[in-house]
Amino acid sequence: MSQAESTWAAEAAAVFVKDWRCEYRTRYALNTLGLFAFTTLVVVSMVLGPVGNTQVMANAVLPVILWLIILFAVTAGLPRIFVAEEETHTATALRLAATPSALFVGKLAYGFTVVVLLEVLITPLFLAMVQLNVAKLDLLVAALAAGGFGMAAGSTLIAAIVAQARTRSALFAVLLLPALVPGLLFAVTLTRAAIAGSDPGVELRMLLLYDGTLTVAGLMLFPTIWNP
Amino acid sequence: MRTLLLWLLWLLIAAIMVGSYLFAPPMKSFVGGGESSRILFFHVPMAWTSFVAFIAAGVWSAIFLKTRKRRHDHAASTAVEIGLVFCVLATVSGAIWAKVEWGAYWNWDPRQLSILAALVYYAAYLALRSQVADDEVRARVAGAYAVLGLVIAPFLFFVAPRIAGFSLHPQPVVNQGMKLQMDLSVLGILIGGSLGFMALFFWVHNLATRLALIEDELDQA
Repeated sequence: MSQAESTWAAEAAAVFVKDWRCEYRTRYALNTLGLFAFTTLVVVSMVLGPVGNTQVMANAVLPVILWLIILFAVTAGLPRIFVAEEETHTATALRLAATPSALFVGKLAYGFTVVVLLEVLITPLFLAMVQLNVAKLDLLVAALAAGGFGMAAGSTLIAAIVAQARTRSALFAVLLLPALVPGLLFAVTLTRAAIAGSDPGVELRMLLLYDGTLTVAGLMLFPTIWNP
Repeated sequence: MRTLLLWLLWLLIAAIMVGSYLFAPPMKSFVGGGESSRILFFHVPMAWTSFVAFIAAGVWSAIFLKTRKRRHDHAASTAVEIGLVFCVLATVSGAIWAKVEWGAYWNWDPRQLSILAALVYYAAYLALRSQVADDEVRARVAGAYAVLGLVIAPFLFFVAPRIAGFSLHPQPVVNQGMKLQMDLSVLGILIGGSLGFMALFFWVHNLATRLALIEDELDQA
């Protein structure tokens, strides 16, 4: 029994390491996602200027823009999690090598670390460029982590779906965005609370519940999508 | 038996249409003497029916993923198709009524938000189906997406509206004190309408699913 458990964990870890090794060789996520997010960020903050000075508007609008930048970068980059496996014809080998649930967890861990790296890169820049002060930094970190996890979990499942379809990148956004609406709502509300320095309230628990729900649903649904 | 049930359904729907204009009193608290409230006899049942249709689609998809019988996949996809029709009608009728009652077609009311999110989600479901060539893969993948919708739906329908903080929507039929707030004839037509529209949905759904199955068999022949 203990052996079976360790191989499951080993499989998940192997998938995670394999994806990061591919990333290290191609630098796809860094080049595409990072640059995409950075360019969007620069253009948006150029147009906006120092909005952070006008507090009311800043609190209402800027968290939405921050999350949209992250969301668009995710929709541009994360479909690759599974689409690349189909395009390079490695999917069959992966089907033989790993149990679906371990594969899902490995891919989810990879997607989550990519999103976190993206957030670490983008958020300080964004806050600096629009001159926005955050009253509760720990709450912002919690919002970014929990919101980012929800995005990664949703993206991993939808990427597996989209890899089976004909038009991939456009369909990915169409399928992912409605599924992420609740998570985005919570994440934006939390970010607003972090900037204003108010109480997180029920939203943080709701966001964590949403993350958990997506993960459990992903673990249960992924095998049916993955195995022919 | 089938014909009799069908006649009863048509009778019920005809009775609701007549009753909603002639039998039910206008709701005095509404703008313009309450005549505008009559659209609710169609709006509320349609919203409920689309809700039921999407839940049914999720349940049929789950059954399909368990049993892998084609008819369950067809049942799910036709439920979404018909549910979307009801969903669009509910959204449009709601917007028309909102213009009369609240002064604008769209107010970002929490319930408008959730019905719009459901509309977008299940439109995406149909987009997904149209983009997968293989029948078997399409059924599996779309099934998973529909089940995911069933899991996210509670967040959309119940949690997100609470987050939005306020609602212009009239109180539910029975409020928190379990006290009836409506005229009994109004309530009767609302409940009758909901049952009638749901029965209409399941009748059309049954026809559409059988048609899809026949087309399936013709393709294979």
